[in-house]
Amino acid sequence: MASLEIPAAIVVRDLVRTYGQNRAVDGLSLIVARGECLGLLGPNGAGKTTTIRILSTLAAPTSGSVTVLGLDPLRDAKALRSRIGVVPQEVALYDGLSARENLEFFARMHDLPEPILRERVDTALADAGLVERARDRVETFSGGMKRRLNVVAALLHGPELVFLDEPTVGIDPQSRNHIFELVERLRAAGTTLVYTTHQLGEVERLCDRIVILDRGRTIASGTFDELRRSVGRRIGASARLEVGGRGAEAMVALRSAGIEARLEEELPDLEQVFLTLTGRALRDEGS
Amino acid sequence: MLRAAWTVALKDLRLFLRDRVALAMSFALPIVLATVFASAMAGMSGDDSVGRVEVLVEDLDGTDASRALVTELQSSKSLDVEIAGDVRSRVSRGKAPAAVLVPSGYGADIASGKKPRLVLYRDPAKEIEQQIVMGNLVKTLYRVAGPAIGRAMMKRGMESMGFPAGMREAAERMADAQAAEGDGSSENPFDFAGQGAEVLGLEVEDVAGGKDSGRLAAGKSHAIAGIAVMMLLFGLTACGGTILEEEQSGTLQRVRLTPNAGPSVLLGKMVFTMIVGLAQLVLLFTYGGLVFDVPVLRAPGALFVHSFAVAAAAAGFGLCLAVLCRTRKQLEGLSTLLILTMSALGGSWFPLIVAPEWFRTLGHFTLNAWAMDGYQGILWYGKDLAGIATEVLVLLGIAAATGWVAWRGWRRRFERLA
Repeated sequence: MASLEIPAAIVVRDLVRTYGQNRAVDGLSLIVARGECLGLLGPNGAGKTTTIRILSTLAAPTSGSVTVLGLDPLRDAKALRSRIGVVPQEVALYDGLSARENLEFFARMHDLPEPILRERVDTALADAGLVERARDRVETFSGGMKRRLNVVAALLHGPELVFLDEPTVGIDPQSRNHIFELVERLRAAGTTLVYTTHQLGEVERLCDRIVILDRGRTIASGTFDELRRSVGRRIGASARLEVGGRGAEAMVALRSAGIEARLEEELPDLEQVFLTLTGRALRDEGS
Repeated sequence: MLRAAWTVALKDLRLFLRDRVALAMSFALPIVLATVFASAMAGMSGDDSVGRVEVLVEDLDGTDASRALVTELQSSKSLDVEIAGDVRSRVSRGKAPAAVLVPSGYGADIASGKKPRLVLYRDPAKEIEQQIVMGNLVKTLYRVAGPAIGRAMMKRGMESMGFPAGMREAAERMADAQAAEGDGSSENPFDFAGQGAEVLGLEVEDVAGGKDSGRLAAGKSHAIAGIAVMMLLFGLTACGGTILEEEQSGTLQRVRLTPNAGPSVLLGKMVFTMIVGLAQLVLLFTYGGLVFDVPVLRAPGALFVHSFAVAAAAAGFGLCLAVLCRTRKQLEGLSTLLILTMSALGGSWFPLIVAPEWFRTLGHFTLNAWAMDGYQGILWYGKDLAGIATEVLVLLGIAAATGWVAWRGWRRRFERLA
């Protein structure tokens, strides 16, 4: 396979994981290139979380082979853990500790030396937009603040590969947008990302490639466009024209060429309306 | 309305019956505690199953009269008499609850009709045993020395108090008549004991308990140590329960994703739990020393080492339970059941000396009993580290065993890949 010429971040072959009679993962094969952002989609019970648990050293496969960053997650768990980051689906922070104390704790568990640790924690607090609330206990934070802290806590040790398991569940649009921007910065920095969510728009915005799982198997994979093409032929084309531009002339030209054309007004979606009205700045006053 | 009420009641009953912890707390715990207390109290009320009280006897007289006294004491069903030397020191070190010293001249005093001198060394902490010893001793003395001593003492006493001759003679006649009717023993030795000892020449000396010798001080030492050990178990089980809290909140999984997961996490929990335990013990004993004059400074080094061993054993116990339970709620129920039972069996609530022998033996299957033995040894008998070495070693053994079980449980549950 051509993609193997450059060492892939993740190589999964015929992965099976059973729980009793239930085959949570059923013959999954997957390759994720380094620096790629892969969207892992699927309905509940599709096997996304089990796959991530296996890839991140928390569960063992029943059969099949798994290589992550060139390492075997079973045999080389300790070495691998220092190179991967996992943003868990649930907020996994100590409510009784402050934001800074939480980050310092996880950084120390990753053996970061003190000077680097302080620098990384400061950066993480800034990335999470929580510099002002660094000394406040997490229990006083809003859901969005906790989510942002939950994300940056997984990035303190500078992982090469990050698993994000529904990182934006139940938060306000500003915080979600903030997390998107953070993920985009990671992508730009060349970090390999595996992103699971039920919000298809997030995948469309963030991911290079998408794998759709169902009943523990891959049922489709490719870029967003490839997936769209795979479910039906294109029957039209669209062009974005600025308001007040030469749209009317274009329409006349198309029609005169025998092409059926329509002029439709493009409206923002509800999230864009919300962010336009309320601004993109983080709202952390509430707790 | 009644139908709705019944529906609600039925639902709650169903939930209750499915909650094994609630069931255990409601039905098993009262039965366990009632059994423990009833068994212990059976000992206090003089049940036959109570073990014989050990009494040391040192015969410095070596006459027929002193040997007769020793033989009579040995025939007592309630006393376990051991002939020994240096008995005062042995009682003061907690080796026996009481000792009788028969001084030289005992036989001569009996022969001359004088009040013979006897010394009873007591450990006031063992109050119940003292009553048994005193009752039996007075009865024995009265039987051995005969009513003659009593009569002579009574006569001398009445003379010194200035009773007229007629009254003295009447009293002597009454005493003779009473002696002729019975064998001189009392049906209730406990009632007799209080008044008879001095008349029969028995000198009583409390030799344990340091400067603050007395039953009250013994009680205070026991109460502080007992509460300290019981609350330590509750506190440290709660500390161990943070494992379950972290498992539920997801932070434990996050910690497991770091390179330092594994033994260091459980070890960290153990250290945290022990620090809390030691702090708890220091606080309670400081309070006991300041407010209740518990002699915490009699052997501070031994007290610290013993407290360390107690905290280690309790921490191991707490972590062991936490790892074996699936949920925090389960842990709370099980720990309450176990700790209350262990506290009752192990002497945290009442001294084990009031309990039958089998109860004491059973009690020493709990860490409470070893903890209490050590604390009583230090606070009451002033034992040093060597004196409580057995207790410390047993507690460290318990810490090692429970720690090992906790480690195995931890690995099975959190380290082995699911």
